[in-house]
Amino acid sequence: MITFFQLLISGLSVGFIYGLIAVGFVLIFKSSQIFNFAQGEMVMFGAFLVWVFLNYDIPPVVAIILVLMIVGAAGYLLERFPLRPMIGQPIFATIMITMGIGVFLKGLALLLWSRHIGIQYPSVITEKTINILGVPLSNVTIGVFVFGLVMVIILGLFFNYSRTGLHMRAAAENHQLAQSMGIKVTRAIAQSWAIAAIVATIGGFLLGYMRGIDFGLIEIGLIAIAAALVGGLESFKGAVVGGLIIGVAQTFTGGYVGYGLKEVVPFLIMVLVLIFKPYGLFGLVKIERV
Amino acid sequence: MRRVSGVFDTSYLQDMTIFRTKHYIAGMVILILLFLALPAFVSDFWLAFISSTAVTIIALQGLNILAGYCGQISIGHTAFMAVGAYTSTILARELGLSLWICMPVGGLGAALVGLLFGLPSLRVKGYYLAITTIAAQFLIIYMIKTPFPEVTGGAIALSVPELRVGSFVFNSEIHFYYLIVAIMALMTFLSKSLTRSYFGRALVAVRDNDIAAEAMGINIFKYKLMAFFIGCFFAGIAGSVWAVYVRVISPDDFTLVNSIWQMGMLIIGGLGSTLGPFFGAVFISALREICVIIGPWVTSTFPQIGAQVSASLVEMTFGVAIVLFLVYEPRGIGHRWEILKESYRLWPFSY
Repeated sequence: MITFFQLLISGLSVGFIYGLIAVGFVLIFKSSQIFNFAQGEMVMFGAFLVWVFLNYDIPPVVAIILVLMIVGAAGYLLERFPLRPMIGQPIFATIMITMGIGVFLKGLALLLWSRHIGIQYPSVITEKTINILGVPLSNVTIGVFVFGLVMVIILGLFFNYSRTGLHMRAAAENHQLAQSMGIKVTRAIAQSWAIAAIVATIGGFLLGYMRGIDFGLIEIGLIAIAAALVGGLESFKGAVVGGLIIGVAQTFTGGYVGYGLKEVVPFLIMVLVLIFKPYGLFGLVKIERV
Repeated sequence: MRRVSGVFDTSYLQDMTIFRTKHYIAGMVILILLFLALPAFVSDFWLAFISSTAVTIIALQGLNILAGYCGQISIGHTAFMAVGAYTSTILARELGLSLWICMPVGGLGAALVGLLFGLPSLRVKGYYLAITTIAAQFLIIYMIKTPFPEVTGGAIALSVPELRVGSFVFNSEIHFYYLIVAIMALMTFLSKSLTRSYFGRALVAVRDNDIAAEAMGINIFKYKLMAFFIGCFFAGIAGSVWAVYVRVISPDDFTLVNSIWQMGMLIIGGLGSTLGPFFGAVFISALREICVIIGPWVTSTFPQIGAQVSASLVEMTFGVAIVLFLVYEPRGIGHRWEILKESYRLWPFSY
């Protein structure tokens, strides 16, 4: 029973991070109808970048804020070059362009950091075990859990109450209509890429803190895509719920069945959801002839 | 499309010929002779390069039918190659069948698995379908790696029996070069014939507008599934030929990254033409070789950069090539080639 709760909590904390990354993915899909297959590479790149900045002699908080500003700016610029010409292009092209960006990021990261194997962040807090209701839990797991929860709440507030967030949602709904209301659609898309990059970096930092920084973080991007599809592509709430479902399913299969299945269980769940509920748990049902 | 000046078709048969003029036929004969004579002039390195590129071209012809003609995006194509490779190898190992029988059976096995993973295309399209093919990639590789390690060799490599005809054993680069190039030519001819037929035109109709295609009496479900079947058949053939060629297969040869590379090759070569796979595969393979060659030079010039320079250069140039092609020439090198041919025919006039 104790293992059950441990697995549940660690699954939920991993799931929050998946959900967070999936939110970035949903954000881009909503604002520009582009599937960002480079999300995993963005997670990995951000995690490495945070590591680089934490090694300089500056306070960790400042370093992280600096990195977030840099990746935000990079996301903003990404919209200008390869992505703006992709508006209105066929799906095949938009899929491949994000994959091209992803492959490029991976190559760049290999060039810069492939020497550093098994690196860890300098520890910010000392790890110890806390008993909550008789269940022993690592304080890092709890910290990541709380941090992820706070991030999701902040993003929710941002999209529901701030002017920029509302503009982005409007642009997502209908480009032409948003434009006629005086919203700059290209700017909204650029902002969504910037936020997606920031969210990916935060997710990369949290995951890297839990499991070390390596190129395996790229796979998280695909798991986040699976989470977004399980939750439904149009819904932030769905992305978080999908992330939680997949995180918990992963730790449970990892704990009770075996490592091999743990790797594919996100995709298994996703295929089942797609077959029985093609638009996800909270997605917008589109009536479309296939 | 403009034709060669002075050539007029007077019958439908003439209209359908692939090699329209004597020059085409002469060019084709010269090309075949060139390929036959090539091993006398080049080293084993280049023969290996051509053989592995030719295997990729076989797979790409299948992906081209699926994605280029029928518009069904598949990001799990190498997984179907893996199905072909493992089916033929396991049949040859466990049942002792001749590899000549196993290779087509491997293709059929991949085609049937492809049919299974093509079923979601009846319910979803576009991004959702692309994602389910990614799921296919992971599920197939998982099935190879985990449940039956004693048959499939698990995550470790599986050795492939020798390919032989009577007492003749295929064991040098030259033998495989002739075999693989011949199979490639055969499969290319098959793909060309398929896409020129009613079948190919039906696929194009489904791609361009599926509702209009259905209204014209094309059974779109049937043609989508057939596209999956045939596309994955090509992949299976490519996989089993690859297995026979390298003699050792492991699940790590068939990863998602390889699938993405194949998609990139198809984009760069040009979707929906028989020549596209050739241009794409040769362009990207050459790019990769160049990066591998200049990698050590970069390492010696800038020693502070560190390890894996070649690998990272390969990835970076590939990424940049995809992005640049998509933005500036989305129809690929094949389209440029067509423009070149037309302007050659019209020269010295511009139209």
